Amino acid sequence: MSPVLRTIFVVARRDFLAIVATPTFLLFLLAPLFMIGMGALGGFGASQLADSARGAGRLVAIAGPDDVEALRAADARLRGALPGPRPAPLELRMAADGPDPVAVAQEKGRDTYAVMSGELASPRIVEREEGSRSGAYLALLAGEVLRDRAAGTVAAPRPRFESLKHGGTSIAAQQSMGFGAVFVIFLLTLLLAGQSVGMLAEEKGNKVIEILAAAAPLESVFLGKLLGLLGVAILFIAFWTAMAVGGGLIALTQVDPAALAEAGSAAAKAQAASAAIAVAPATGWPFFIAIGFCYFVMSFLLLGAIFLGVGAQAGTVREIQMLSLPITIFQVAMFSLCSGAASAPGSGLAKVAQIIPFSSPMAMAARAATDDARGVHLLALGWQAIWVALVIYLSVRLFRSGVLSGRSNWKFWKRGAKSVAAAADVAAHR
Amino acid sequence: MTDACVEATGLTKYFESFKAVDHVSLRVPTGSIYGVLGPNGAGKTTSLRMMLGIIDPDEGTSRLFGGFKPQSVRHRIGYLPEERGLYPGMKAREAIAFMGALRGLDWTEGRRRAGDFMAELGLERVVDEKIRKMSKGMAQMVQLIGSIVHAPDLIVLDEPFSGLDPVNQERLETLVRRERDRGATILFSTHVMAHAERLCDRIAIIARSARRFEGTVDEARALLPMQVRYTPRDASGDVASALPADAVQRGADWLFSIEGDAVEPLLARITASGHGVAGLSITRPGLHDAFVHIVRQVDASFEADAAVDAIEESAA
Repeated sequence: MSPVLRTIFVVARRDFLAIVATPTFLLFLLAPLFMIGMGALGGFGASQLADSARGAGRLVAIAGPDDVEALRAADARLRGALPGPRPAPLELRMAADGPDPVAVAQEKGRDTYAVMSGELASPRIVEREEGSRSGAYLALLAGEVLRDRAAGTVAAPRPRFESLKHGGTSIAAQQSMGFGAVFVIFLLTLLLAGQSVGMLAEEKGNKVIEILAAAAPLESVFLGKLLGLLGVAILFIAFWTAMAVGGGLIALTQVDPAALAEAGSAAAKAQAASAAIAVAPATGWPFFIAIGFCYFVMSFLLLGAIFLGVGAQAGTVREIQMLSLPITIFQVAMFSLCSGAASAPGSGLAKVAQIIPFSSPMAMAARAATDDARGVHLLALGWQAIWVALVIYLSVRLFRSGVLSGRSNWKFWKRGAKSVAAAADVAAHR
Repeated sequence: MTDACVEATGLTKYFESFKAVDHVSLRVPTGSIYGVLGPNGAGKTTSLRMMLGIIDPDEGTSRLFGGFKPQSVRHRIGYLPEERGLYPGMKAREAIAFMGALRGLDWTEGRRRAGDFMAELGLERVVDEKIRKMSKGMAQMVQLIGSIVHAPDLIVLDEPFSGLDPVNQERLETLVRRERDRGATILFSTHVMAHAERLCDRIAIIARSARRFEGTVDEARALLPMQVRYTPRDASGDVASALPADAVQRGADWLFSIEGDAVEPLLARITASGHGVAGLSITRPGLHDAFVHIVRQVDASFEADAAVDAIEESAA
């Protein structure tokens, strides 16, 4: 093991044990009670988001030139006359363009509830959900057009209904998943990474920092501290995941077997019904969960590195407390940006959020829910890792030039500018 | 010439506009005990920090074991900073093992050596005690052990004796000598001359940010003339004519100073004068006197410069 890695491990081990092997860690574990409150808030946000996304759905009719206007007129007549909620807007496409109805039903960016194609007398209707109201409405439209054209009685159309086997996940559901990923990463980072703001206070308070600075590269000390805290965060997450799973299993044993069987039967039916919808993130569950975890780690390291660097400049507990507010505001600002990005996948806002390094992990996790491209995540992780290294490097330079040299803590922005200029100068001369 | 374990050349450090260290150069021979002496605020700690690469100098260079990258030889260095620091929640054995692990020592081996060291220093009963429960002196000894547990080739101790009782000071001196006998080079700073006088092979005196002396303890002491107290048996007549010009009478005694090579001529003059000798003591000044002499000279020089500046300023 290289000396740097060894130092990182030694520091991380010390910090991990120093946090976990204390009674206050139990208190820390109870923090999810706060999380439940925030979760309710997040759920409300996701629900609002899903509602707004649901309004963006559509029905599509692929028809010949003669039928297009007739379908439009029939839609205008029937739409207002039908009882209950109005059908999604109808989009008409020319059959001459030769679009594949299944491909149209699976197009990204909008929810497509049903697609009608072929002769109006025997249309092919591809539905996202079997027996849906949307498919029935398209069949009704076909019948209405046929009735308008016929002088007398006309036979009812004989539609052939098909349901999508895959790729039909609701965009709204995917956006909700994206928002959920943003929210979970934000919440966990808020709860766990924010602690790094005071991590060096202990070393500065008890003067251990000089021993660390003399014994090891400060970069590895900073990274070791972050990884130690990350270990605590992962332990925390694992604990509550285990609690949730365990709680669920215990709850199952308390249910009456007959009721359980009935519920199982209902669940099987529900599963069969939802198979057609296949509610899943665009990249698939395993990838989404794995990449979500990676983005949590990157978000934790990025924000944790900022907090550690800024907190390292603070000389007293009061200064650390003063720093907490702007840090929290910064986090909330990143969350707001990413929430906006999650509700508008593919937009300019989403791209900006994905590029800004401190919002990138959350925004990219949201993207993994709505976009099936995978390679871009490797690029994003690399980009974020570069920024983790950069933030740690600058934090260490500030710390070395300021705190270790006994200079004023609060002139760090001047030293920061000098550090950046010096780094640029070095780079220019290489 | 002996190999140099530490070689600092022209180290300079500014804190804002204040020049904390002014072109300090040191050469610490391998295997020696080297003392950096100076009054409080002279720049000793900053110099040591620059030599170890903890802070960067504004000017000058520092070589450890012949190389310019202190980071690459960290595992060969043990460092006790001036401001003592330990994690209060750690047990002594763990704290020592942790400090060793930072320098590359296996954690288990570190624990074992911690027990051995503490037993040797009579601290075995607190080996599994938390630091916060220890006295300041005990904690300081724990930190000292932590800085040498990995058997470093260079041991840098910044004011190691401050805060220790005489018994522990004695133990520390023994430990320093033993480490030197093991082959380590010891570089330490202090403003207590007695320790330096007993331990050091070579010393450097830093005052007002710059190095003012470098050499052996004897060379430092030789900077001052020897002090003579002479009591003539027959005080009648002109006793002063046989003595140096700076001789002053205090009761029956005459006090004056002479250079090291002037002892025999003085004895000859006293004998020839016929006043006889009722008492005669010739004292070689200690390191303490040499240190005070050097520091006062520097202070006087600074005050004179300041006075000249003030006059020039008012004239302008």
